[in-house]
Amino acid sequence: MKNFFRKVAFGLKPDEKISSDPLVWATSQITDEIPDFSFKGKIYSEKELRKHYKEWVFNDRKKLRKKFKKDKKGYKSAKNKLRADTGQKFWRNLELAIRHKEATIGSHPVLTKLWYFWGNHFTISDKDFLSHYTTGAYQRETIRLNMNQTFEKLAHEATVAWAMIHHLDNAVNVGPKSEDAKADWRKRKKRPATINENHARELLELHTVSPNSGYTQENITELAMIMTGWAPNDEQHKSLLETANVKFQRKYHQPGKKLFWGKEFPKGKKGLPAAIKFLANHKSCREFIAYKLCRYLITDYPTKDMTDPIVKAWEKNDGFLPEVHKAAIKVAFEFNDKHKKFQTPENWWLQMARMTDAKWPPSDDKFDTYQLGFGPDPYQAKPHKFMKDMGHHPYLSQQPNGFSDLAEDWMSPELIIRRLLYARQGYINLKPDNKNDEFFEKVVTNNFDNPEKIMKILNKNEKTIDKHILLFNLPEVLRA
Amino acid sequence: MKISRRNFLKGSLTTLFLAGSGFPVYSSTENKKNLVVIMLRGGMDALCAVPVVGDKNFEKRRKELILDNTIKLNSDFSLHPGLTNFHELWKEKKSAIVHATNIPYTERSHFDGQNLMESGGKIPYKVKTGWLGRGMKVAGLKQEGLALALPMPLILRGVPQNNNYFPTKGKLPSDKVLALLKDVYSDRSEDELIGMLEIIKSRPKETSYAADDTYSLASEAGTLMKEPNGPRVAVFEVGGFDTHAAQGGEHGTHSDCLKEMDLIFATLKKRLKDQFDNTLIVTLTEFGRTIKQNSGLGTEHGYGSAIFMGGGLLKKNQVYADWPGLKNKELFQGRDLNSTIDARSVYASAMSTVFDLDFKRIQKDVFWGEDLQNLSDKLFKA
Repeated sequence: MKNFFRKVAFGLKPDEKISSDPLVWATSQITDEIPDFSFKGKIYSEKELRKHYKEWVFNDRKKLRKKFKKDKKGYKSAKNKLRADTGQKFWRNLELAIRHKEATIGSHPVLTKLWYFWGNHFTISDKDFLSHYTTGAYQRETIRLNMNQTFEKLAHEATVAWAMIHHLDNAVNVGPKSEDAKADWRKRKKRPATINENHARELLELHTVSPNSGYTQENITELAMIMTGWAPNDEQHKSLLETANVKFQRKYHQPGKKLFWGKEFPKGKKGLPAAIKFLANHKSCREFIAYKLCRYLITDYPTKDMTDPIVKAWEKNDGFLPEVHKAAIKVAFEFNDKHKKFQTPENWWLQMARMTDAKWPPSDDKFDTYQLGFGPDPYQAKPHKFMKDMGHHPYLSQQPNGFSDLAEDWMSPELIIRRLLYARQGYINLKPDNKNDEFFEKVVTNNFDNPEKIMKILNKNEKTIDKHILLFNLPEVLRA
Repeated sequence: MKISRRNFLKGSLTTLFLAGSGFPVYSSTENKKNLVVIMLRGGMDALCAVPVVGDKNFEKRRKELILDNTIKLNSDFSLHPGLTNFHELWKEKKSAIVHATNIPYTERSHFDGQNLMESGGKIPYKVKTGWLGRGMKVAGLKQEGLALALPMPLILRGVPQNNNYFPTKGKLPSDKVLALLKDVYSDRSEDELIGMLEIIKSRPKETSYAADDTYSLASEAGTLMKEPNGPRVAVFEVGGFDTHAAQGGEHGTHSDCLKEMDLIFATLKKRLKDQFDNTLIVTLTEFGRTIKQNSGLGTEHGYGSAIFMGGGLLKKNQVYADWPGLKNKELFQGRDLNSTIDARSVYASAMSTVFDLDFKRIQKDVFWGEDLQNLSDKLFKA
């Protein structure tokens, strides 16, 4: 039963009380209010961070490339200075620290584990410099803050988020009969306006109904037409380039009412919300999300009796996410003993940190000492370095489908080497007073149903570091 | 544009004739032969990489993505100017291209398509093993596969105890800890983890330097494969081909990805030395891209693409194609380069050549007896 605390969260701290009703413990964390962050250092808004992105893009593209056109060395050096001046290598460390603190010391670890699910569902993959400046903030402000809304609202907010619009190229999705299509420069340059299908395709395939719904290429094109016009506002100051706020701009929008999947949708600004409403309420969408939730929490191969209660909760509550989440947690509880889920590297790492009350992430005040103009110091740089090395940096997914949650995708000699090496790192992160046998016994007793058996295995080692490495590579820990 | 469908069909009849003659394709077993697969993720634009020469249908649809300084390959096709190393191999008759080809998948989803290009199947996610892993299994090549990536790609699954290389720094636990762990895994029947611990035991105990850039990975792969007891199969991944906007021409995103692939060809040649002559490199992608550029100067998901090939096991330098043409009526669904060769025919033929297996056996045991064409004698040295 105790594995449930890891299945739906990150395990229990050594002194954390074991709830007599784990299901109540878990569902009570899913509240209508999204709690404040546990991280007490300075947290920057997405807009503030996007200003740094703008500075980087504008100065690099409009100034440095021209100034150092014939001086490669000079360009490299000036670019490095610009990196430091815009905090390029610092922000993602700060964001990971904020994210990880919710798992390691936060009071709502169940909500946090679900936050990670949605962040991965609405992935911003590693493109341009999004991971450096805005992906973390997008996951805080767009994903987490909408987890107490309906799926439709979350999907809408994620779709029109600046990071997503940029990520999936909707900024260059232009109606072929739009006002902009008639612009003189297009005629002069012989560059007709066309749609860009990228965002529409992923909105269907990855974010809402999935290919199981049977949409066609024609449906993708139709949705792309509806999505024309949602782009960074190019009427704002020109120096903002592509970093201006997203706004519906009629001049890029394909005029007229639209047909999509055999239904008529309104023209203009109302088209996209209506399309998202249609998709969010499609049967395939709730089935797809229910399946993914079960795959994330319970087993690589969910069954209908797992997904059905989640689908029903969705239908009963119009996709209100807190109720959908509670249903998913309940199913995870009911199937807890039958299925053990292989934990992804980030979940595993954070479980190790929470269960051992380790010093992770680096403390808040270490991040508050950061000054623009410099790179992160070795402590501040740890979150990015570690997660990248483990192959599970949540802002560096290589493709828009995010990271896999299937065991087979996390099994390779190199990935298992990472588990061994980072179990050692986990020991290094322990508080000095906790590097002893009594402490391990406490950790094991609080988190496993078979503490004697586990302690017997651990005690075959003399060194506490070896006990630690062994513990966090036991099948009981790799799976939950 | 001189190439026409009719010209090609003469060639394909010959192919069919030879394939039907019943001669099995067996290669010498004296030398160790290597097969390298480079997966190009995101949908490689074959018409950017290997543009067709002098086709007005192409030029008018790609005004701003047309390349100026291409490398001429023959009267019909040229090469992206960034592929200089591939061109050097071409001059040595050690590189070739299969054009207008793809796996039989037309739905244009990256993720379904990538799953199928690796599994070799027709229904996404149905097959849990890769065509290369199954081929290795048929050839009895256990512990001979090497992935130059952190995860173990689906394409290699199906044969136990493949290795991967993606170095990091750090100190592994002592042998005693690994032995204890192995005991626990044995008790719990964790066979896959046991196999991995076996591999890990042979790794250096402590690593203080680790480079995982493309050049370093290809260097290591080449160095290992050169050894008589080294791996016989290697898999690389190059991502980033999904250029819906700002695709670029001679320079830019698509070009950078192609150059990364080009670097793998060059580095393998350098490190494999003489063994390059006993090696076959083939690329793999989920689909090609639309003929027409979009207004963001990118291209959308398409169908037909191309396979780059390298190594001394190639028969000759050539662009092998049943060219479908680029007129509207010749395009797939009016928008994409068509695919006239099932890419799996190329991979089955490649495995037949490198693994010294009868093509029909690969066809039956790896690709479920599907209707594939034996191209071994067209493309590879017997």
